[in-house]
Amino acid sequence: MTLKETMTSKERVMAALAGKPVDRPPVANPTNVMTVELMDMVDAPFPDACRDPEMNARLAATGYTELGFDVISPYFSIIQESSALGCDMQWEQKDNWPTVRMTNPIWKDEDDIEVPDDFLEHPDNQAIIGSIRILKEKYGDEVAIVGKTMGPWTLAYHVFGVEPFLLMTIDDPELTLRILHKLKVVTVLFGRAQIDAGADILTLPDHATGDLVSAEYYRRFLQDIHVEMVEKLPVPLILHICGKTLDRMGYIAETGMAAFHFDSKNDPAEAMEAVDGGITLVGNLNNPETLYAKGPDAVREEVYRALDAGVQMIAPECAIPLRTKLENLLEIPAAVKDWSEENL
Amino acid sequence: MNFVHDGLAKEFEHVTREGERKHIGELFESGDALMQEIAYDLINGDHEGVDRLTKQALEDGYTANAILDDGLIAGMAIVGVKFRDNLIFVPEVLIAARAMKAGMAHLEPILSASGVEPLGTIIMGTVKGDLHDIGKNLCIMMLRGSGFIVHDLGVDTKPDEFVDAVMEHDAQIVGMSALLTTTMPNMGVTIEALEEAGLREDIKVMLGGAPVTESFAEDMGADGYGDNAIEAVDRAKEFVGTFSEDGVNPD
Repeated sequence: MTLKETMTSKERVMAALAGKPVDRPPVANPTNVMTVELMDMVDAPFPDACRDPEMNARLAATGYTELGFDVISPYFSIIQESSALGCDMQWEQKDNWPTVRMTNPIWKDEDDIEVPDDFLEHPDNQAIIGSIRILKEKYGDEVAIVGKTMGPWTLAYHVFGVEPFLLMTIDDPELTLRILHKLKVVTVLFGRAQIDAGADILTLPDHATGDLVSAEYYRRFLQDIHVEMVEKLPVPLILHICGKTLDRMGYIAETGMAAFHFDSKNDPAEAMEAVDGGITLVGNLNNPETLYAKGPDAVREEVYRALDAGVQMIAPECAIPLRTKLENLLEIPAAVKDWSEENL
Repeated sequence: MNFVHDGLAKEFEHVTREGERKHIGELFESGDALMQEIAYDLINGDHEGVDRLTKQALEDGYTANAILDDGLIAGMAIVGVKFRDNLIFVPEVLIAARAMKAGMAHLEPILSASGVEPLGTIIMGTVKGDLHDIGKNLCIMMLRGSGFIVHDLGVDTKPDEFVDAVMEHDAQIVGMSALLTTTMPNMGVTIEALEEAGLREDIKVMLGGAPVTESFAEDMGADGYGDNAIEAVDRAKEFVGTFSEDGVNPD
């Protein structure tokens, strides 16, 4: 029997994020799935594809047209706003990620925080905003366009440096909170600009991961801000935090975010139990060991494991290595469809 | 073990694995009040306390080695256990590291001048494309504190930079770190470069970093994996234990 799909990709994703029934679980990528092979296919290599709206849109669309995922996500990295804020950037080349030189931070104190008046006009922000407009025009009826806006915790790593910022959280927690509240302005500004351009959904990465900080940190410093982001950004939000997060999923589920994009370090069944129906889960296929280093059979096994556990949307855990093989990525929607045929 | 500092005795209760209780307990065997106060202040990230007490200990006639082993490293061993067991996280480790640095600032000049034979020479770096260095820096601090010479190549280290450094410093061990799942494959690329340069048989390679696992390290062809800075020191000590007296890797 062949699975009969009764929803468009967009309907499927928006329904899943709203906790409504779907014809099959969607395949999403709240973070990047672009690879060197895809860049070559449409002649849109990094870093140019991160900085030029036309090239960006051409590459981003392949997630839907070539891979068969149910979303298009044009923000490939996590550094566009930070570039616009003036961070020291390393743009790299086709097979490596653009990144912020966090060892060379631009700010030291709360008084240093200043969002340029022309922040949204910066070319690296316009690359994403412009790309969303193009994608909305071309694919907006059939597939959900996922924008991305960095949360204040991640922005703080970029502008203050990871180590100075984490030391600040202990030396002066009140200052830390004031800084996060100042930086959330950037999150809202860039998020709203993407919504205005046509984004149906926003990923909100905010890397308060269990590999760095405690669950209590999440509750104390970020939970209220994330509740506020839900109020101020009127589209479904997908919170993304890498690494171990089981211990804070209960807090995350209370924020009102539509979904949480989680890492393979967390067992999917335990994650479902931790959120207890309070939030949709997206994830959590392992990138380095499975998608990058293994073959389609291992990918299929992980897809089935997540779906069997009840994970509502299937996705790689985070941005994938740029040399990930296409056959492994193509296996994700194929496995989801086969599982759906067998189980729905 | 012989605790004369109540706070430290409470901290030691966090060490629950039998082997570790024995090993770390032995570090406090001397029952010296000043060393235990240094260890306690380090665990709690009181860098001003560690700075003051280290200076005081040197003035009182303690050797730099005794302060390092019985105060700083003993305290850091408990920090390592608490971190591994998720009782504390990176910010708490960073303030402990800051306290250790405050103590080391007094000890390093003395240790360097003493001419003690180092345990071995290690090249450390975060791999190409990755600019994260907190974990690497913690490892380096612990390795240096444990008696290794460590050459830090910093972040975004290209494979040929690892190769050149191994040759230049005649290193026995290479340690690589990555925080991003997107840059982890560059660990394998670097190991290949070491092979192509004909160096692989002469050195041991250890990997670490938040997303790195033991099985990934094996897949990449590394000799070892450390989940945290304490384990990195353990791996390095195991490696030098396997070298023959002339420094040759028997594998």
